[in-house]
Amino acid sequence: MDVSQYLDIFIDESNEHIQALSDNIMILEKEPDNKDTINEIFRAAHSLKGMAGTMGFKKMQHLTHDMENVFSEVRNDTVKVNSSLIDILFDCLDAIEAYVDTVKQTSNEGEEDNAALIQRLNDFLEGGGQVSSAPAAAPAEEAAPAAAPAEGDGSATYTSLTLDEEDLGKLKHAAEGGSILYGFSVHINKDCLLKAARAFLVFKAVEDFGEILFYSPSAQDVEDEKFDFTFSFIMSTTSEIEPIQQAVAAVSEIETIECGKVTPETYQQKTEAEAAPVEEAPAAAPAKAEEAPAAAPAKVEKPAAKAEKPAAANNKKNANKPVTARTVRVDIEKLDALMNQVSELIIAKNSLVSISSSDSGTGDYDRQSFQEQIEYLERITTTLHESVMKVRMVPIENTVNKFPRMIRDLSRKLKKPMELVMTGEETELDRTVVDQIGDPLQHLLRNSADHGIEDPEKRAKSGKPENGTIFLNAFQEGNNVIIQVGDDGGGIDTERVKAKAVERGLVSEEDAENLTQKEIIDFLFMPSFSMAKKVTDISGRGVGLDVVKSNIEALGGDVEVKSTLGQGSTFTIRLPLTLAIIQALMVEVRNEKYAIALASIMNIENIPVSDIKYVQAKEVIYLRGLVIPLIHLDDVLDCEPMEEKPEYLTVVIVKKGDNYAGLVVDNLIGQQEIVIKSLGKVIDNNKMISGATILGDGEVALILDANAMF
Amino acid sequence: MAEDKKELEKKDVKRRDLEPVDEEKKQYIVVKIGDEQYGLDISYVDNIGRMQKITRVPKVQYHYIGIINLRGEIVPVMSIRRKMGLGDDVITNKSRIIILKMEEQGLVGVLVDEVREVIDLGESEIDRNVKASRKSDALFINGIGKNGNELVSIFEVTAILDDVSAS
Repeated sequence: MDVSQYLDIFIDESNEHIQALSDNIMILEKEPDNKDTINEIFRAAHSLKGMAGTMGFKKMQHLTHDMENVFSEVRNDTVKVNSSLIDILFDCLDAIEAYVDTVKQTSNEGEEDNAALIQRLNDFLEGGGQVSSAPAAAPAEEAAPAAAPAEGDGSATYTSLTLDEEDLGKLKHAAEGGSILYGFSVHINKDCLLKAARAFLVFKAVEDFGEILFYSPSAQDVEDEKFDFTFSFIMSTTSEIEPIQQAVAAVSEIETIECGKVTPETYQQKTEAEAAPVEEAPAAAPAKAEEAPAAAPAKVEKPAAKAEKPAAANNKKNANKPVTARTVRVDIEKLDALMNQVSELIIAKNSLVSISSSDSGTGDYDRQSFQEQIEYLERITTTLHESVMKVRMVPIENTVNKFPRMIRDLSRKLKKPMELVMTGEETELDRTVVDQIGDPLQHLLRNSADHGIEDPEKRAKSGKPENGTIFLNAFQEGNNVIIQVGDDGGGIDTERVKAKAVERGLVSEEDAENLTQKEIIDFLFMPSFSMAKKVTDISGRGVGLDVVKSNIEALGGDVEVKSTLGQGSTFTIRLPLTLAIIQALMVEVRNEKYAIALASIMNIENIPVSDIKYVQAKEVIYLRGLVIPLIHLDDVLDCEPMEEKPEYLTVVIVKKGDNYAGLVVDNLIGQQEIVIKSLGKVIDNNKMISGATILGDGEVALILDANAMF
Repeated sequence: MAEDKKELEKKDVKRRDLEPVDEEKKQYIVVKIGDEQYGLDISYVDNIGRMQKITRVPKVQYHYIGIINLRGEIVPVMSIRRKMGLGDDVITNKSRIIILKMEEQGLVGVLVDEVREVIDLGESEIDRNVKASRKSDALFINGIGKNGNELVSIFEVTAILDDVSAS
């Protein structure tokens, strides 16, 4: 069966389940007795196993199966949750994630079978005491039933099938030909969603050994899922029954298998049918199929035919190379809205067409209705734009969800108790931003864990709770999304940073004395400036904050730091809500046009030259209690100097955080919606220009980044 | 990586020197810059456009004049004169912008004084033993082609776009 078309879904859903597992295991660690969580975990692990099985990823299926065993013991209260179990489980999750990654890249699960991990899982189960079954050690027949099999749901088993003349004839013919006849009844797990697929896999596995002569329900019904959880069939083969049974059991989500030798006579004398086959095949007494072979397939020698099949399937998949695309899952409502607006757009177009055709050759359009339609069109395009933007927006949840786990690991590694508190995970950002914000955030969190939070003793001394707190808050503010990452740790020791800066020759000792706290902290953002006394594998290599900063600036955002010695520090990341289209104010400097993002503009003032004051030889204006430094755009943009000085200056006042600046322009053109385009890779991008846009007349205007003016 | 690539290309050039005569011919676009003619390997050329308004970008490398709108795409335009240290461009109605399509850098426009013709040159018609009299030639020229009576300096297109300048 070619499953490559399901690969995307598989990867998406696996990631969801992995995330669910990770979240719930975190909860489980805190509340080991929370039955809901355990059930949730069980479900996720089970689905993962089933999906991996369907896709033919045997190793992944194997690992998840063993995890599921552990969870089932936890659920049955035979094993207690402790941190070493949680550690193993997290390692397993990492391994599964690695499988999914490999699948994503190669559409193949790879060679790693994680035997060591599986061993650890099983060791834990054995060491866990009361567990009666030790699945890995037990070969197929000996596997003790750990999970209670759901037997006998009332469906007919193979022994009680009713065959008509024709089928009986087939059986007889096969028996006369020297083949052995086996009857099989397969019970599928009741949670199974794709019964037909399971049945298909079972038939497929069986057909490697012989021919299926009779199906109950009929093959068509099985394919259409017209059966409960049990189906039976009779096959003719020359093989022993065990390998067949194992092959069938290797299909996931099979609860139990009943099988045995049958003869045509069995069905002719249906009354005696019950006893005979079971006696004839004692080895095949209904084994707890799910438990046995899947738990120890490495030890069960698989028939060669079976081993070849997945390999062939894998080869085929490789040839197809279904490289998975970057996708966004979109709420259907968003798409509906989009569809509606597109229909409106078409209506608006039609109206315009009808106005133009109502022109009777005089060129005399009905100006008013024309104008109305243009306005209508404008309204539609605006909402259309908003809708498309919304489609691109995804919650940062997907990115930040892995952090609690990371902090937990760090906490154990660094032996500092700490906790991550997150708020606003539902805050939405453009998909591209969400994708790229992960690394910087991870870095800041690691920083907090490693440098921010102090040792528990030290915390106790300074009167703080021993448990450190790291927080990640996300929220929307105007046209920006703010993400704050911080801790209640020791804060940044500015004196040490200053000393380090002087030592590194970045600033002279005298100048260092006059630096503001902000200027000192800015040193931390310089390349290869590390404050760590020792290099650890967590941080301290000096490639860090500068990368964080450049990553965030590449996304059009910026970082600010607030820190109080002894009380912790907070990194505030400000990101633009959307990247591609912004509202901008078009201004003119000499004969060049520039766009300034409306979001950063406070107001626009007409200032008489005589109002300009000088503070430290810099031009400022004093406006409603604020001292605002002036920036002459013609200067910073290297324009030709103006011939005569004007009496009044047009000043666009921009804001960044708590800072203001007044940009002096020659003329205002007006407000406009602009599409941001990159300047390309070759132009050495100076920070002031964040991109370019194409105006209505085809001319190119540059976009000024007001944030870079400060 | 970039370094490696350059190495490879150099080797490639050398290997071509040693190859026998019956190689296939390559097409070159002959352009005029100042009084001299230069050849650009046509495989790098995306299209040739007339002069249009170039938007100046402040504070960029000296040899980038600015950016243009090429069918909705922003494309940077470089001055090959400035790059080779030949001073500023003189815009006439013969001036053209040749849009190069590079694997690494994407689309880049190059301003030239005039586009003359397309010629076929075999390796035998190109003298790879260039003794550069100017620093700029050493950097950007990888051979002299013979086009009838005229000589055409062949540009090493990848070198033009590297961020080294003769000036």
